[in-house]
Amino acid sequence: MVDNINNILGSINSSEEGGIKEQDRLLPIANVGRLMKQILPQNAKISKEGKETMQECVSEFISFVTGEASDKCHKEKRKTLNGDDICWAMGSLGFDDYVVPLKRYLHRFRELEAEKANQKNVGKNIEESQNNEHRNFQGSFYGP
Amino acid sequence: MRQAGAYSRILSRKTGPHSLPLARIKKIMKKSSDDVKMISGEAPIVFSKACELFIEELTKRAWINMTNMHEKRRSTLHKEDVASAVIATDVFDFLVNLVTHDNNCELKEDSHQVIMET
Repeated sequence: MVDNINNILGSINSSEEGGIKEQDRLLPIANVGRLMKQILPQNAKISKEGKETMQECVSEFISFVTGEASDKCHKEKRKTLNGDDICWAMGSLGFDDYVVPLKRYLHRFRELEAEKANQKNVGKNIEESQNNEHRNFQGSFYGP
Repeated sequence: MRQAGAYSRILSRKTGPHSLPLARIKKIMKKSSDDVKMISGEAPIVFSKACELFIEELTKRAWINMTNMHEKRRSTLHKEDVASAVIATDVFDFLVNLVTHDNNCELKEDSHQVIMET
């Protein structure tokens, strides 16, 4: 229900920056600040406004790239935006340096997902064969 | 048998599997345009990595820019430093309006200096 209220507020005043809407359209300042700190020298500090500016930039980055990827999907008459579309959009918009690490990341993620799925099936098979053994044992106990 | 911890370490140097919240990323993606209807599960995951790279690059540039510009070494990164890095980098052109629209002319003059120096 909160989501509906947010959507209504959003459509009434799309330029509103404070209040509930702020939560939705920016990544958490703690996470953003932490990533900034990790790349800077030990003694470096970041002003709150500096982190806020970065939050705004990241959200704009996400929108910018998503828009490009979405256009591609639309042109190719596809409904679902996938990881490859995001990688392609990065390259298309000039973020060439990101493409290789992102493709590698996506590839590893897909491998892990496939392994997880396999493990689930293996687990299911073991369970099924254990159930069968149990039935057979019971059968033989009461058998002829 | 491999454990869950090993997987998250493969995926990321950070302690958790993803250092940015996927649900929030997905929300921002959906709001970017009415055309965006369906998003696969892997898209926000790719973005979480992309945003890390983006934040790292912009932060690094802001810091280098700031230390080059100022004779007296500062230890705090400010909003203006991020704005200057945006203006000085072609690939961040899409952010120029965002970082300058609510600033006064003074900032724009400084940024112009940055362009001239580099």
